Amino acid sequence: MSNLRIVITLLASLLLHPAVGRAANNDKQTAFFEKKIRPLLIKHCYECHSEEAEERQGGLLLDRRSGWIEGGDTTKAVLPGEPDASLLIKAVRYSDENLQMPPEEKLKPEQIKLLEQWVRLGAHGPKIDLGDSEFSRLGDQEHLFGQAEKHWSFQPVKTETPPEASNGRWNQNGIDRFVFAQLTENNLEPSIGAEPRTLIRRLTYDLTGLPPSMDDVEQFVEAASQDRPAAIREVVDRLIDRSTFGEHLGRMWLDVARYADTDSAYRPDTRTPHYFPFAFTYRDYVVDSLNKDKPFDDFVREQFAADLIGFKPGDAEMAALGFLAAGPFANRDPLESLDDLIDVTTRGLLGVTAACARCHDHKYEPIPTNDYYSLRGVFASVARVNSLDEKKQPLVPGYEPSEADLADYEKKRAAIEAKVTKAGKSKAKGNNRSISQKIRETELAELLLFHPGAPARAMRVIDRPKPLEPVVYIRGDAGSPGDAVPRRFLKIIDEDQAPFPDDSSGRLQLAEKIVDPKNPLTARVFVNRVWGYLMGSHIVDTPSDFGLQGSAPTHPKLLDWLAADFVEHDWSIKHLVRTIVLSQTYQQRSDYREDGVTADSQNKLLWRGNRKHLSIEAIRDSLLSASRQLDPTPRGHAGKLWEDGYTKRRAIYGYINRFNLDPTLRAFDFPTPVQSQPKRGESIVAPQALFTMNSPFVIDQTVAITETSEFTQAATDEERVSALFNLIFQRPPASLETERVLRFVELQSRFTKPADKRRRASTWPLVAQSLMMSNEFQYID
Amino acid sequence: MQSQLSSNPLSGWSRRELLERSGIGLGSLALSGLLADDQNVSAAPARREKSVSPLIASAPHHPPKAKRIIHLFMNGGPSQFDTFYPKPEVQKLSGKPLPKSISDQLQRTQRNRVGALFGSPFKFHKYGECGQPVSELFPNVARHVDDLCIVRSMQGEIANHTPGLLLTNCGHSTLARPSLGSWMLYGLGNESDELPGFVVLCPKGLPTAQTTNWRSAFLPGIYQGTHIDIESSGKELIPNLTRDDIRPGSQKAQVALAQFLNRRHKNLRPGDQRLDSRIHSMELAFRMQTAGTDAFDLEKEPQHIRESYGDSVQGRNMLIARRLAERGVRYVQVYHGGGQPWDNHSGLVPRIRQLCKDSDQPIAALLSDLKQRGMLEDTLLIWGGEMGRTPTTQSGTKDVNKIGRDHHIDGYTMWMAGGGVRPGMTYGSTDEFGMKVAENKVELHDLHATILHLMGFDHRRLTYRFSGRDFRLTDVHGRIVNEILA
Repeated sequence: MSNLRIVITLLASLLLHPAVGRAANNDKQTAFFEKKIRPLLIKHCYECHSEEAEERQGGLLLDRRSGWIEGGDTTKAVLPGEPDASLLIKAVRYSDENLQMPPEEKLKPEQIKLLEQWVRLGAHGPKIDLGDSEFSRLGDQEHLFGQAEKHWSFQPVKTETPPEASNGRWNQNGIDRFVFAQLTENNLEPSIGAEPRTLIRRLTYDLTGLPPSMDDVEQFVEAASQDRPAAIREVVDRLIDRSTFGEHLGRMWLDVARYADTDSAYRPDTRTPHYFPFAFTYRDYVVDSLNKDKPFDDFVREQFAADLIGFKPGDAEMAALGFLAAGPFANRDPLESLDDLIDVTTRGLLGVTAACARCHDHKYEPIPTNDYYSLRGVFASVARVNSLDEKKQPLVPGYEPSEADLADYEKKRAAIEAKVTKAGKSKAKGNNRSISQKIRETELAELLLFHPGAPARAMRVIDRPKPLEPVVYIRGDAGSPGDAVPRRFLKIIDEDQAPFPDDSSGRLQLAEKIVDPKNPLTARVFVNRVWGYLMGSHIVDTPSDFGLQGSAPTHPKLLDWLAADFVEHDWSIKHLVRTIVLSQTYQQRSDYREDGVTADSQNKLLWRGNRKHLSIEAIRDSLLSASRQLDPTPRGHAGKLWEDGYTKRRAIYGYINRFNLDPTLRAFDFPTPVQSQPKRGESIVAPQALFTMNSPFVIDQTVAITETSEFTQAATDEERVSALFNLIFQRPPASLETERVLRFVELQSRFTKPADKRRRASTWPLVAQSLMMSNEFQYID
Repeated sequence: MQSQLSSNPLSGWSRRELLERSGIGLGSLALSGLLADDQNVSAAPARREKSVSPLIASAPHHPPKAKRIIHLFMNGGPSQFDTFYPKPEVQKLSGKPLPKSISDQLQRTQRNRVGALFGSPFKFHKYGECGQPVSELFPNVARHVDDLCIVRSMQGEIANHTPGLLLTNCGHSTLARPSLGSWMLYGLGNESDELPGFVVLCPKGLPTAQTTNWRSAFLPGIYQGTHIDIESSGKELIPNLTRDDIRPGSQKAQVALAQFLNRRHKNLRPGDQRLDSRIHSMELAFRMQTAGTDAFDLEKEPQHIRESYGDSVQGRNMLIARRLAERGVRYVQVYHGGGQPWDNHSGLVPRIRQLCKDSDQPIAALLSDLKQRGMLEDTLLIWGGEMGRTPTTQSGTKDVNKIGRDHHIDGYTMWMAGGGVRPGMTYGSTDEFGMKVAENKVELHDLHATILHLMGFDHRRLTYRFSGRDFRLTDVHGRIVNEILA
């Protein structure tokens, strides 16, 4: 690194930062610095501690006086006049084993002497001091709070009046008026409404995660030809009232809540996960709450503090606590578990990334590290119960297994208990856990998790008798405790930061702060999630990050209008969903238009609908639905998704192994439930196609569909083709398609030799599978 | 009939490829007709492609020296003192306590566990032109010493398995960060159309820290490592790779039918690149069925190659590793076995003898094999554990067959070969007792920065935005160890 380059950089900085350029205080001192000290610093320190290197390790900058005076994460680096008390001098002296700088090699004695002399004389700085720059301000909370004062998401939700739209149809729903105004500003027109066939399929999938039946389609097409708006309203009301509504939208929330049926680790000796046999009651709570249209604020209160707002063991709402209890890291790593709870709370509900403030003040957001530890204090004051401890997890009402299931469960349970008793206290070889313990953790836990006759219990949490008074861990290191901080809410939202009471963890107070209508984030964040789920693109493209680093909203006024409308309507999620899907914006055709693509290729302005790929859950449910195998039974214990004996219930009732996520789910963008997931992507990879080509689950459905009455009643090959198209695509085949299929059928018949004893897939299931493999099956226009 | 189905021009490659593999002519021609659409796909802007097809191959920052990595993970932490780093002073004072000046520097908890110095019972000899010493436990690997770059100054952070594994694999001892292999796939995409780009071979169970070792964390899940245990028979190695109730010709015709529907569907919906990508993806899936099975079929190897690796767990895994690397898998990690087999707290002498015996011939065979195929040049081979072991015994026992060594993170040994590292050299050293790094410390961040550099990346620029900030494998650390570059 040459001095010349430094000078050029300094000059450039000078030009870029008009506020910079404080005059040096003393020419002689400055000369000493530039001649003797600066070269030393450049050679040995700037690689890690200068703006030029874009490195600020330990938070310390040594390219400006403010850098060493204010110091890094630990403390001031230099106390002018006091070399012995200055950290920088201590570091170069190599006297402390844990603080030796530069790390490669100790400086020469004469170099150390120079630095000591420099500090003794007042540690004067460069002639041209860099002062504050964007770089040095990273992590400067004062500066970030200043930025936040101007940042949209931290401002109160504004009451926006939707602008008038010149197009009558686009002037009825608030959403449309905002969208239309922005389209007009950009010289774009919206697309026309989708065809009834397309629209009914879109609505049925978006509201229930399932395809419409052929009858649904025909009835809607007929009704829409009479009175389209009335037909749409009617079908939307009907779909929103179905119990399949909560089963679909619930999955969106479960992604945010990182829901799973196991912990994130496994037991090496038994090679089984740490099971959460009762996590499913939380999943059911979510589905039920959405179906009952529980106000979102209550939904949040219950998930944080059902036990503190009057619910008692034996109440169904106790299962809401699974939000806290069923998270990852429960068994192995309490520190990570607390981090997870802070993360899911702040990103999941507030759209701020507070977990980044674990080791130091947030570098890019107004989140001081104190806030992290304030929240940590809340969660550290909450105890989890052992997920296998049945006594501490109260029964949840509303689950009545059939007598047969119950009897079978009891029989199996008795057999396992007998094994446990027999094993007594004996231990496995080379292992210090008892055999009986292992039986409980594996066989018994699996029975509790999967058996339909097993009890349903609430995975709850309990406040510790005395709340913990948190202290900051310097650099996130539990071995370096720093200042004590009270348990309280985030400063950026709650300026006063009144401490939470001494007599409880503060979970309830935290929930109340989150759902306070004055909180500018919660409603915005949630309506944006629902919007994205239905529309296929979000208003804020970073749904869990509304902070300074997050994306700007494409339609800021619309977002505020939606948020205000949501709160005004008592946080009704069904109202929100209805408002969105009844808009013209939602109902547009998804076709590309030349002018639209040219002006806005990513459709940010919403000049068309988005073509959406089905989630793996919707694909699985649709396969079972097409083959008439879908078991609509709601709620209850998890079932296996693909293995032998797989459940025929909806995918939301499938077993989620957090420790080792199912490869099929993974291939289809299902999020690893180790952390809260903002949104799902759409990737296109070969394992997805392999699934539809070769999965035994899919193959079973291709056979089952040829055993449906619709198919067996067909008298000719042409009718068989029609039956399959109806069942799978809910439309009749075009003549060209029928021809093409019949050619395949004819060709296959040549290969079917009766003498061939090996099991051979027969022709019609292969036809059905071709349809199931196709893009039409997996996309919603 | 055939011509009716495939009016599009055929690309020579796909035609040949498909005809070779097809059971019948019809299906293959119908299929290859669809490949004409590929041109549209590859013409799409790279950025758009990446968001939809996250595995599409892409170029790194600069021309790479290494195109793939085979990482032989000696999980548990192999003893450097008995393998690649002789310590005369430890030999001389074997059985005596550490000098007080040294033991005083230890932390209290550590001091209580430290026994007497334990000189290695294994003899070291100098090998090759470079004359690097290797212990008698690795007679075959020793023959390749002129290809090895031995780093004796590795510096860990926390002396335990899980943090060590996570630091080595993911760049952080505790926080949930993506693994090196995931970063690699994120940066480079998948070279192979037919195999996963990041494969983890671990026979008999999972290593300590389990699947977190190859997690993608906040990177998209598609970048996660695929764990394959070739020793557990009867299980599908790659999910849904094949079905056995259909003749290949029938399935080909069936895929052609699906693609016919896909083309119609796409033609009615112009402009949507995803629909093209899915058509392409189904072609890949079809090819993967053959290639994916083939890669794991050791019967396809000539007898003499199989013999050179040896018919053992280690031998089979090393050979599979080569077959995968050869087929374009970017990053193959081979763990020695489930749990932490090299964690020799007791019974070190018999155990390490066995561990080395199991792996010596297969590793040597892998080195020869890669070299003969000209693959060593651009394949980076890495050997090492998540830490090393102490120069001292752990407990009071005097029985040489029961003695063990404790965990040690201050100056352990790893070696690399091929892929742009300097062959036949030793880098770094520890003090005379091997307690601390004496010169040229290499932290894991430095190793990562160096590996990324060899793979063509500036470790500071390979970033992913998550939770409001740009993350990178080396976080704010990392120094490229230029001295070991060829």
